[in-house]
Amino acid sequence: MTSTRSRLSGYAVVVLALALLGGLYTAFLAPKPKAEDPANQSVAVKEGRQLYLQGCSTCHGLNNQGGAGGPSLIGVGASAVVFQVESGRMPLARGAAQAPRKTVKYDRTQVDQLAAYIQSLGGGPELPAGKLDDGELALGGDLFRTNCSSCHNFAGVGGALTRAKYAPPLTAASARVIYAAMQSGPENMPRFSDNTLTPTEKRAITRYVRFTTSESKNPGGAGLGRYGPVPEGLVAFLVGMGLLIVVTLWIGARA
Amino acid sequence: MSDSIRDRLKATGEDVDPAAPVSHGEHPVGDPTESTHHSYHAELDEQSAKRAELAVASLFMLAVVGTVGFIATFVFWPNEFGKHLYEFYTPLLGGFMALALLGLGAGAILWAKTLMKDEETVQERHLLSSADEDKQGAAAIIKEGAADAGLGRYPILRRSFLLANGALGVLAVPFLFGLGRFQFKEAAMAKTGWHKGSRLLDELGRPVKLGDLEVGGVKSVFPDVAGGRHMADSAVLLIRMRPDVLHVRESRKDWVVDGHIAYSVICTHLGCPVKLYEQQTHHLFCPCHQSTFDAANGAKVLFGPAARSLPQLAIQVDDEGYFVAQGDFNEPVGPSYWERKPHYKDEVK
Repeated sequence: MTSTRSRLSGYAVVVLALALLGGLYTAFLAPKPKAEDPANQSVAVKEGRQLYLQGCSTCHGLNNQGGAGGPSLIGVGASAVVFQVESGRMPLARGAAQAPRKTVKYDRTQVDQLAAYIQSLGGGPELPAGKLDDGELALGGDLFRTNCSSCHNFAGVGGALTRAKYAPPLTAASARVIYAAMQSGPENMPRFSDNTLTPTEKRAITRYVRFTTSESKNPGGAGLGRYGPVPEGLVAFLVGMGLLIVVTLWIGARA
Repeated sequence: MSDSIRDRLKATGEDVDPAAPVSHGEHPVGDPTESTHHSYHAELDEQSAKRAELAVASLFMLAVVGTVGFIATFVFWPNEFGKHLYEFYTPLLGGFMALALLGLGAGAILWAKTLMKDEETVQERHLLSSADEDKQGAAAIIKEGAADAGLGRYPILRRSFLLANGALGVLAVPFLFGLGRFQFKEAAMAKTGWHKGSRLLDELGRPVKLGDLEVGGVKSVFPDVAGGRHMADSAVLLIRMRPDVLHVRESRKDWVVDGHIAYSVICTHLGCPVKLYEQQTHHLFCPCHQSTFDAANGAKVLFGPAARSLPQLAIQVDDEGYFVAQGDFNEPVGPSYWERKPHYKDEVK
């Protein structure tokens, strides 16, 4: 009797100790489930694959291998999806020198699902979490003028490239699209890896672009493409001179 | 000359001979002394004059309002960048200044058209040359001065004085040597900030190392000398492309590192920065006159007015993995000039 009880109590102690250990482990030591739950991730990948098969596979191939219409998407990364789909460039309307910005066909969730699917295939650049346009404005301006302004113009209004291609204006681009463009180097744009422009610097550039294209104002009303004093002088000359000539003619006619 | 003008000149007391011709020769556009003037306003009666006066005065007052508004805007309007309504600061200043000038101008015109006397007068011009006795007088003074100074009497003084003046003229000749090719030194045009072992620094002064660029990436780089980032002739674009698409000529095969190639970005046409790089076509495009260079093929000219390829900077990787220049460019960067040699060898300086 005594031995049975003591044996039982022995089991109880072991069970209790195990439970305590397990509880402690779960409470303090066990790896926390990540914000991007693998289960959710795989759901997103599955949904993304469905969207891909319906909307993208005609050109990019059933297995992302690329085809006559489009390049392979293996290894382009989630950023490429965000840039191309969230700016409305994909799905492509027709073959041309360059894909233009159009009405966006997928909502934010669908873009993220597509991005998760493409990312799952071969890795590649991915948008970081958190705000993307909270960088330092002055640093962003400095970096923008060195790295971006040669094609996109220092006011971000874009410009011509060779053979009917162009660097698009950045005025309509969201922070996600700007950031993703730097990471993925779409079409003929050079790619700026995190070693070329660190995430801090990319955030600063994104902040500068958003500021200069949508927040900053044009003293004087019309920016005239923000090309600077030459077109401003031209307009002042033509309009001012024109008005003076009209007034002079009027005075002459009254004489 | 019309009678009215003659009469008026008489009234001013000038002596006018009615028989004397006032002008000579033919007048293809009519005799300028024949007045064709028509008065455009009648004499105003008392009431109209009062009205006109008020109109002119109110325009002048508008000018005053413009000036006051200008000063008030200058003092009180928020003009700091980013402040609420700051973007109207410049237009308001301009608007008020325009009002001030316009009010004055319009008032003056209205004044002249309504209240001022409308009449035409002729102002006679005198001959441009001086009278003969004035010329003779001046010559006499100069001669007298020379005689008083003793120029005729002391020949050594006269000659040395003339020599000193001539010598002063020669003093200007050395200045001519500052012009043109007396001054020109080929080396000054051919040299940039790059030197052997100079690391390739980015726009924030950090050295660029192998692996920083992905395929399809570019980086603007500058020499590691003081003020290197602001040397207009030393700006270089470091490009990375797939090694198999990069064609390097035999004499330059040591100038590239694993698909990394560096070119001067100063256009060989007129010196604009050629930094528009297309990573799929490998075109470098000059925004000024559309010169297009093939970065995958020695930056040779594909299109446009540029006559020469972009100079290539020979690069290598040092022991720590950073990119360094093997030396300066082997040819002068930027546009051609008279004294530029037509050909340069592919040798690292």
